Amino acid sequence: MSSEVSTVTGEQSVEELRRELAEVREQQAATAEILASISSSVTDANQVFAKIAATAARLCDAFDAAIFQVDGSSLRLVAHHGQIPFPSPIGQHKIPLVRALLNGRAVIERRTNQVVDMQAEAEEYPEGRELAVRLGWRTGLSVPLLRAGEAIGAILLRRREVRPFTRKQIELLKTFADQAVIAIENTRLFKEVQARTKELQESLEYQTAISNVLGVISRTPTQLQLVLRSIAQTAARLCESFVAQVYRLVDGELQMVAQHGSLPRLPARYQLPLTRGSVTGRAILDRQTVHVDDISALLESEFPDAKPSQLVVGHRTTLATPLIREGQPIGAILLRRADVRPFSPKQVSLLQTFADQAVIAIENTRLFNEIVQKSQELEIASQHKSQFVANMSHELRTPLAAMLGYAELLQEGIYGVQPEKSLPILTRIRSNGKHLLGLINTVLDISKIEAGQFKLSIGEYAMGSIVDTVMVATESLAAGKNLAFTAEVAKALPYGLGDEPRLTQVLLNLVGNAIKFTDAGEVRIAAGAANGYLTVSVSDTGPGIPLEECDRIFEKFRQVDSSNTRTKDGTGLGLAIAKDIIEMHGGRIWVESRLGHGSTFRIELPLRAASASGVT
Amino acid sequence: MTKRILVAEDQEDLRAILRDYLTASGYAVIEAVDGRESIAKAGSERPDLVLMDIQLPVLDGYDATRQIKALPGLIAVPIIAVSSFAMKGDEEKARAAGCDHYVTKPYSPVQLLHIIRGFLAEKS
Repeated sequence: MSSEVSTVTGEQSVEELRRELAEVREQQAATAEILASISSSVTDANQVFAKIAATAARLCDAFDAAIFQVDGSSLRLVAHHGQIPFPSPIGQHKIPLVRALLNGRAVIERRTNQVVDMQAEAEEYPEGRELAVRLGWRTGLSVPLLRAGEAIGAILLRRREVRPFTRKQIELLKTFADQAVIAIENTRLFKEVQARTKELQESLEYQTAISNVLGVISRTPTQLQLVLRSIAQTAARLCESFVAQVYRLVDGELQMVAQHGSLPRLPARYQLPLTRGSVTGRAILDRQTVHVDDISALLESEFPDAKPSQLVVGHRTTLATPLIREGQPIGAILLRRADVRPFSPKQVSLLQTFADQAVIAIENTRLFNEIVQKSQELEIASQHKSQFVANMSHELRTPLAAMLGYAELLQEGIYGVQPEKSLPILTRIRSNGKHLLGLINTVLDISKIEAGQFKLSIGEYAMGSIVDTVMVATESLAAGKNLAFTAEVAKALPYGLGDEPRLTQVLLNLVGNAIKFTDAGEVRIAAGAANGYLTVSVSDTGPGIPLEECDRIFEKFRQVDSSNTRTKDGTGLGLAIAKDIIEMHGGRIWVESRLGHGSTFRIELPLRAASASGVT
Repeated sequence: MTKRILVAEDQEDLRAILRDYLTASGYAVIEAVDGRESIAKAGSERPDLVLMDIQLPVLDGYDATRQIKALPGLIAVPIIAVSSFAMKGDEEKARAAGCDHYVTKPYSPVQLLHIIRGFLAEKS
């Protein structure tokens, strides 16, 4: 444009110069306005086209201006300014893309095309002439819209009279053509970015939905209904369906088990026969997704069984995906749309993902219920066993009590003076009976522990008196094996809170074991207190325990090795019970030992038993 | 006068042991085989002490103890509960029912005699 200004010659009058300058200014203002319009309406090129058409008509002094875009083998009208009417509205009116029309030739030849009098162009533009005569125009100018050398449309200017457009006007129209291309390009790019963004948003939304469903599955393994409903709801939302249903195959029939969206006139427990005559039935029988663009057109030929529900619901596009577990169909998800609008491939694959999730949920629930049932059965069996052992131990004690009682009375001479020789035998009967009673009590304790019926009876106790009791009960055993047997109890030990008989039982067990396994040397008990704990230790000079056995000896039915099991009697339950009792007090018990260097069993008990407050 | 002890015990052997031992120790023994009989005998015989088994047929030892203590003039009769349960709470239940002492089976007859003597000496 500025080059035009610089070619001004001396012959031109000042008036002319002034007029030209004003024209240039107006043109610059117009193009600037169009550029502003381009940047402010990136989403809608039509607005820009309308502005370009109006400005071009005004500045180029044309009767009307029209913009066309190539659309296949035609040109589609996208903007018009002026009074020559077009037979159909903007956006819909199309003219053929041919050389016999002004526009067509401009596009085909990719160059500016001016015809001074179209009504005189019967040879070159037979169709153009006919139009020009019919609509009453003479001079026409068409500039192609060129993008990367390719013509994508054209701008057309027309005049009622024969008056060719000037070179300046042609240049100006070329500028407008460039701007129209920019607008088209802008819109295309914008739409592309928008589509890509939407795609990303969609896939993010899909992934979020999928992981949400997975979350529901893992949070509610027992509530299948909740999971299926959540799947139906999510599928309906993301696949844009007004109703989503989950069906399960029950005894050869399709039973609806979850639904999102309302179908007011269908029964709540809607059932379908399993046939290929319904979309759902076909998806299941064919084991593949069935996508029907418009079910209403296929009711007679393909889906007669869908007819009753289609007539009530009025859905059109329909999609069903089977639920398949280990190759076998177990149900389906059905989506319906009220309009004819096929599902996108992404929505189809999303529905298939939801179908997989439904299968996982169904399978999860089945396995979960199976496990729950199995563990209940096991628990009942275990309780029966524990109860049996408890009953049996109790039953065993009754006759034993009678035997011990009679033996004691015999020894007491209630039934007459016994022969001297029978007295030690009676003592043996009684001590064996007591031993048997001890074994039965041990079994009873274990069964109580296993049945969860073992409870502490909490009271105040003095560790010193427990040690005394144990000393008195076992010193004859130690003496019998010529062992040194000593106890050291720290002075002024605080009273503890716990189950005294049970703690006595534990210490008795430890001291009994120490004496049992020690053939020479000593057994020593020590008791003290530190940091809110009472400590007791039982040391011996016995064979010792291998390091790897030090933890395992506290397991049930465990003694150090098989040779010991043979030579030393015992149930192997004493230490396990001791550990349970100490731990119920909130304390701990362990052994320090080395093979050939004796053993020291240590107990640490909180002054107040942990369960002291909780026991009723 | 010979002190009389009511033994409420359903096991024949245990009754025999107590009968033999207590008789030999200078007491008269009255026997009952279930809870209801123990109440009847307590009412008619008015014993000086009762040995009450807890697990009795017909009526258990807790109920029998409660009803015996409610009989006229028997509120002070010592009742020693004998249980083979040794479960947590048994002793408290026995004492709540009115028992004066509580021993668990199997007991040593000699030790039980010590306890009985303690109660009867206290009373006289």
